[in-house]
Amino acid sequence: MKHIQTILLPIMAVFLTTACVDAASITGKVVYEGAVPNLKPISMDADPICSAKHDAPVLPDVLVLGEGNSMANILVYVSGVSGDFPVPEEEIVLDQEGCRYEPHVIGIQAGQKLKILNPDGTLHNIHALPKINAEFNMAMPKFKKQIVRSFDKAESVFPIKCDVHPWMSAWVAVFDHPFFSVTQKDGVFSIDGLSAGTYEIVAWHEKLGEQKFSVTVGADETKTLDVTFKKP
Amino acid sequence: MSDSHHEQGFIRKYIFSTDHKMIGIQYGITSLLFLLFGFGLMLLMRWQLAYPEQPIPILSKIFSEDNPFLPGGIMVPEFYNSLGAMHGTIMVFLGVVPLAVGAFGNYFVPLQIGAPDMAFPRLNMVSYQAYFLGGVTMLISFFVPGGPANSGWTSYPPLSVIATQGQTYWLIGMMFLITSSLLGSVNFITTIFQLRTKGMTWMRLPFFVWTQLVAAFLLLLAFPPLEVAGIFQLMDRLVGTSFFMPSGLVVSGQALAYTGGGNVLLYQHLFWFLAHPEVYVLILPAMGIVGEVIANNTRKPLWGYRSMVGSLIFVGFMSFIVWAHHMFLTGMGTKISAFFQTTTMIISIPSVIILSCLLISLWGGSIRFNSAMLFALAFLPMFGIGGLTGLPLGFSSADIHLHDTYYVIGHFHYIVAPGTIFALFAGVYYWFPKITGRKMSEILGKLHFWFSLVFMNGIFMPMLIQGLAGVQRRLYDGGAIYAHAQDYLYLNKVMTHSAYALAAAQIFFIINFFWSMKFGKKAERNCWEATTLEWVAPSPPVAHGNFESAIEVFNGPYEYSAPGSSKGYLPQNEQ
Repeated sequence: MKHIQTILLPIMAVFLTTACVDAASITGKVVYEGAVPNLKPISMDADPICSAKHDAPVLPDVLVLGEGNSMANILVYVSGVSGDFPVPEEEIVLDQEGCRYEPHVIGIQAGQKLKILNPDGTLHNIHALPKINAEFNMAMPKFKKQIVRSFDKAESVFPIKCDVHPWMSAWVAVFDHPFFSVTQKDGVFSIDGLSAGTYEIVAWHEKLGEQKFSVTVGADETKTLDVTFKKP
Repeated sequence: MSDSHHEQGFIRKYIFSTDHKMIGIQYGITSLLFLLFGFGLMLLMRWQLAYPEQPIPILSKIFSEDNPFLPGGIMVPEFYNSLGAMHGTIMVFLGVVPLAVGAFGNYFVPLQIGAPDMAFPRLNMVSYQAYFLGGVTMLISFFVPGGPANSGWTSYPPLSVIATQGQTYWLIGMMFLITSSLLGSVNFITTIFQLRTKGMTWMRLPFFVWTQLVAAFLLLLAFPPLEVAGIFQLMDRLVGTSFFMPSGLVVSGQALAYTGGGNVLLYQHLFWFLAHPEVYVLILPAMGIVGEVIANNTRKPLWGYRSMVGSLIFVGFMSFIVWAHHMFLTGMGTKISAFFQTTTMIISIPSVIILSCLLISLWGGSIRFNSAMLFALAFLPMFGIGGLTGLPLGFSSADIHLHDTYYVIGHFHYIVAPGTIFALFAGVYYWFPKITGRKMSEILGKLHFWFSLVFMNGIFMPMLIQGLAGVQRRLYDGGAIYAHAQDYLYLNKVMTHSAYALAAAQIFFIINFFWSMKFGKKAERNCWEATTLEWVAPSPPVAHGNFESAIEVFNGPYEYSAPGSSKGYLPQNEQ
């Protein structure tokens, strides 16, 4: 009997671990606290094609708030995870419509395709400025409607700029795992598929810096992490 | 001095030859091919300028949508930049200079001074091989990721230091080309100083030899600074030095990791210290060819030969102290600008003297209007336009408006395209019988000339107009997005159609060149009734040694219509 227990217990443990693995989640909401600054509208007069695309003033994407000051464009990710994770087939789309980058902040896996669109009918210049991956700096004339690129290695956040329209900027972080999320205007993020364990969670904003949290999740558990960025 | 050597194998005779004539032919063929290639790059650019972002006919069927340079046959801006950089590089360093100096110089300087070969035949061979390797390196760069160099033919940092890897190939290619030029210049200088035949005093040297001598000194003294600049730039790119990269440099909002406190202007000084004398390396041998052809076809001595030689040496000297007139807008300061403005005005004087002497040489001449002479004659007004349009650029005040506009492109193309290249065509028509033993067709030659003359001006005259209107050079769309350029955009089409017509006109030359080699009228050894020594040698000259017997010089180079001469001219070796 003792022998049977010796054999069965590890098998059951492995089975249970396998059955429960990748089921934990960390979700939450990011809000902004403090006086909301008055952002100056972007002047697109330098390129009449750009300015003609907008009826109303366009505000910069540096601080985009939703209801209750929920924050968009916050990159939330798990730090220090390594492993062999499949690269998603799905392309991430970076659109330049209206001479703005949409989305403004991008999380992407190494090797995953980034499809860059130019529906504007004007010249854009897509200039990625990574330090680890290969830099690229390519013009996208109006006939060049899309290009596809990818980044081979994990890298912390770096900018993408348009050298023709200086107000255009986006941020990209490349991960070698899928545990990241970017908030929309509702400020909500969700990192799913985690194993049970303790993780360091980083919330990043382009101006307000980053905050780190230690979160422990059990198997199949969903933990809530609410993040607040304050005006410095 | 007759040929006593055993018969050489193919490789030794045609590939690794030490005979100056074969090396001259190697230079000639290679440089003509590069000229054709560089011209082809320009035709692509011209399509883009006249019809921005429209598919290039034929190429749109060859290139897929995924092609990085010409997706669907439409040119991307980066490739336009590459074409601009490579067109300039190829035409200057792989086309015109190797043809003017490497080909004509190699072939005719030893012949004209009565020498059996160059002073250092093996060095001569290595010089060609270095040139060839430089050319191959430039061509390979078309196939590397990101394409060939795209920072202009001047390769200014910081742009060139952070550019794609094609720039590294450009720099390595330039190392080969500079090495080739340095080896060649040492050889020319030694040959002209040491191997002149008996009686060939300095004032009996043909004007062409003088131009080659001065050009050789320019190459010898001006290229080392560019070699240094090239090595420094290579180190900035590859090993993280910062000779030309200033500390705290911010590109696209990002601080670059260069902290050595380099200076971008240092490169510009080193580059132009070469590149202005290089302009004279482009033009002086052309003047030499024109001098030979005009003297021969007016049947008169060159008017003011001694003044021309003196002016030539003075131009050579002055060309080393005018370089910063390319840099008036870099904020050098008014005192420095005033100095270079003054030297620039001074250097125009000897150039005017040479041009005036050539013009006056026509006066009262019994002119033979053959193809060579037509090209030589056209050189005079074309170079004149090129020179005169350069004066406003030499004034720092006028340069503020004209700098980096199409005016500059028009100006220097008048110097080197209908200027130097016309002179080189004159040289081809004039010396072809000496090299091949056959004359080129005059009918095809004249068709080539007249169409080339019209369409050359059709390309470059509108550039001067656009430039005066402020249309900038290096614009991917030819200025289409600028309001101030709108009234002048139609000229882009005029220029482009002229360029294609010019290309078509070269078909006459290409057919003539190959047809005449095989079927041209057989030429006597002195078919132009010329006085200089190359016409004493057989056509083609003796393989090794050039002349059948030792040769002695008794006369100046242009004893045409010489009193007492029964033939109407007196070759240099006849008393």
